[in-house]
Amino acid sequence: MAKDKEKLFMKAMKKKFKEDPTDEHTTYYSFGGWKQSKRKREWVEQANKIAKARGLVMMNQDIGVPLGQRVLMPYQLSHTDIYAEADDLHFVNNAAMQQAWDDIRRTVISGLDTAHTVIEKRLQKEVTPETINRYLEAVNHTMPGGAVVQEHMAECSPALTADCYVKVFSGNDELMDEIDKQFRIDINKEFPADQAKQLKEAIGNSLWQKIACPTIVGRICDGGTMSRWSAMQISMAFITSYRLAAGEAAIADFAYAAKHASVLEMGTMMPARRARGPNEPGGIPFGFLADMVQSMRKFPDDPARASLETVALGAVIYDQIYLGSYMSGGVGFTQYATAAYTDNILEDYTYWAVDLIKDKYGGLCKMKPSMDNIEKLGTEVNSYALEMYERYPAAMEAHFGGSQRATVAAAATGIACAMATANANCGVNGWYLSMLQHKERMGRLGFYGYDLQDQCGSANSFSYRSDEGLPHELRGPNYPNYAMNVGHLSGYGGIAAAAHAARGDAFACNPLIKVAFADKNLPFDFANITKEFGRGAMREFMPAGERTVIIPSA
Amino acid sequence: MAKYDRQFYPGTTVPAKNRKRFMDPKIKLEKLRDVAMDDVVKILGHRQPGEDYRSIHPPLEESNEPDCPIRQMVTPIEGAKKGDRIRYVQFTDSVYFAPIIPYVRAWMYMTRFRGIDTGTLSGRQIIEMRERDLEKVAKELIDNETFDPAKTGIRGATVHGHACRLDENGLMFDAWQRYRFNAKKGEVEYVKDQVALPLDKPISVGKPMSEAELKKRTTMFRVDGVDMRDDKEVMMTNLRIHRLRTLAGYQPWEIKGE
Repeated sequence: MAKDKEKLFMKAMKKKFKEDPTDEHTTYYSFGGWKQSKRKREWVEQANKIAKARGLVMMNQDIGVPLGQRVLMPYQLSHTDIYAEADDLHFVNNAAMQQAWDDIRRTVISGLDTAHTVIEKRLQKEVTPETINRYLEAVNHTMPGGAVVQEHMAECSPALTADCYVKVFSGNDELMDEIDKQFRIDINKEFPADQAKQLKEAIGNSLWQKIACPTIVGRICDGGTMSRWSAMQISMAFITSYRLAAGEAAIADFAYAAKHASVLEMGTMMPARRARGPNEPGGIPFGFLADMVQSMRKFPDDPARASLETVALGAVIYDQIYLGSYMSGGVGFTQYATAAYTDNILEDYTYWAVDLIKDKYGGLCKMKPSMDNIEKLGTEVNSYALEMYERYPAAMEAHFGGSQRATVAAAATGIACAMATANANCGVNGWYLSMLQHKERMGRLGFYGYDLQDQCGSANSFSYRSDEGLPHELRGPNYPNYAMNVGHLSGYGGIAAAAHAARGDAFACNPLIKVAFADKNLPFDFANITKEFGRGAMREFMPAGERTVIIPSA
Repeated sequence: MAKYDRQFYPGTTVPAKNRKRFMDPKIKLEKLRDVAMDDVVKILGHRQPGEDYRSIHPPLEESNEPDCPIRQMVTPIEGAKKGDRIRYVQFTDSVYFAPIIPYVRAWMYMTRFRGIDTGTLSGRQIIEMRERDLEKVAKELIDNETFDPAKTGIRGATVHGHACRLDENGLMFDAWQRYRFNAKKGEVEYVKDQVALPLDKPISVGKPMSEAELKKRTTMFRVDGVDMRDDKEVMMTNLRIHRLRTLAGYQPWEIKGE
């Protein structure tokens, strides 16, 4: 049996509510409504000023539901000491969340091998470390919006595109030693030795560019623009650094390689009914999301943290931004999604599960992936999670929506099954076991969406054939049954991460993505997701792509 | 072959037995109170007592509907015959041993009522019907043992509260304070209708049940009541559903020996 430790959520519960976390009773209706919130008071003042200035009413907290009839509780960003108001975890109000999404959307990974082959074989020119360095210098001029070919050309202000750059990486140490240090993502330096070895073996001798397009371009255009923007600037940089003719037919090969043949986008294109281009959140497979998260690089002995950080990133990217706004258009998904990455509740369930796996199931990755075992472990973890809500009314009230509890209990169960078996599909099967048991036990689950995918999900959890399923790491928000239900995708991301973190894998799905996001020049730190969201909530996070230099000073 | 008796729900524990009782339409549920129909109508808030039902189509008798097998098989409910509009009643059931819970409501509605459309979420459970039929159903659901004045809420919008702690009088939280505890009478009274419009006078829905009474009537498995793991048949049935769906999708007959 797992050890009976102090519950990880106790500190947050005590901060949120004045009563003991086990107390079933409290008082209501006496907290001053919305006025109890510093942030809402600030907004009322702002809205009144705006209304006066424009002669048109604006936000008014007294319209609609009487806000603040109970304590407007603060939220602890899990595995940090940061507390935030719920409002500050809305992506519109949180610059770190915006940057997390900006940094994903503006990332393109493009191979250089095809282009070098064209130069060497077709044009019979030499490619050497010196020419590669010269090219990298050129592409770091063109990518932010610098001109190299036409002599009378409008360019972009570097102050607006300061976050834009190109770096390279390879599994070939000798080649990387020849590359100017400023252009390198050094796998040996950024990753623990065993992870670096795995990554280098997977990447081999090929040379890859990590392109960080300007944040501002992603915001004005869209994710579909990114590979086009990068391909255009790459082509220009080749023209200038290898002294090519701008119109010669071979140039098309560079563009083709950079746009199609040798490019990796962070998200796949979406079908017309969901109508988004590549590099939009709905196209990001769970395995890719797991690879963007860098927890295992910095905390290699803590696979649970890696899973939970992936859940946190998924909650913001998939739930708050994609389903919450891209798909639904609503503003209310924050309240729902924060449950998965605040107050250490999912943390408590997950670490309890890890202890249980070590104590009773032979350790991480040691459990045979049988139905009997998944049912046994899944039942234990799920029952523990639901019991905690029943034993601690404060936790129940913290997750006051059934969808929140269903997501969190299922995420813990799924992560546990993935970690115990080292198999993400076993994990997602555990997720659905949790959902069915939860519904039966409590007689309630989540919103209508839970009647859709969670009642039939067991049936597709091990499906691999292309018309019926996929390995879990390759599923994503665009997977048919997952396309429109908030509160699930974050957990699914965590499950993809869990199976591989438990094994000590350096990556879950794609080594190139893992390395690309290990880059320290990114404004958002993907090794400390919740901390960054917390810094955003505290207004301590400095984002990129600001327009300060082209607008009147305040 | 032995006659098959529908069992409605597996299990032997109190919550399992209560689920069966609620779902079995042959069992008459205990009536615990008698809220006047006019008061039910006021709480619903769709029309004033005595006001005509609004209709959305002519009575079926006058509408010259084409003949078809479905029309021959299905006898319309009263409101459908008259052309009533469809209205709703929506309940919120506290996790602190409210007698009935959202999915059990849905299952019970399906076995006991005709002409309904019901939807289940964690914090609210809606039933929609032709208006005159709805009023009868709403009265039944407020009067009978599935309703506890303190742990069950009648809420059209702003429903959260099912998972919140209880107030000092043991009432479930309601941001609109549609009901209050009358300490003098020891009763819960509604002062606002389903969508929180004030009522002209308070409507009592009776005294809250004691904790012992709630636990006797509960359909909820909880660690501080009956844990679902202690009901072997419920656990086994639920795991079997998961296993068969996992192994066989929706063709469980394909699996031998399970």
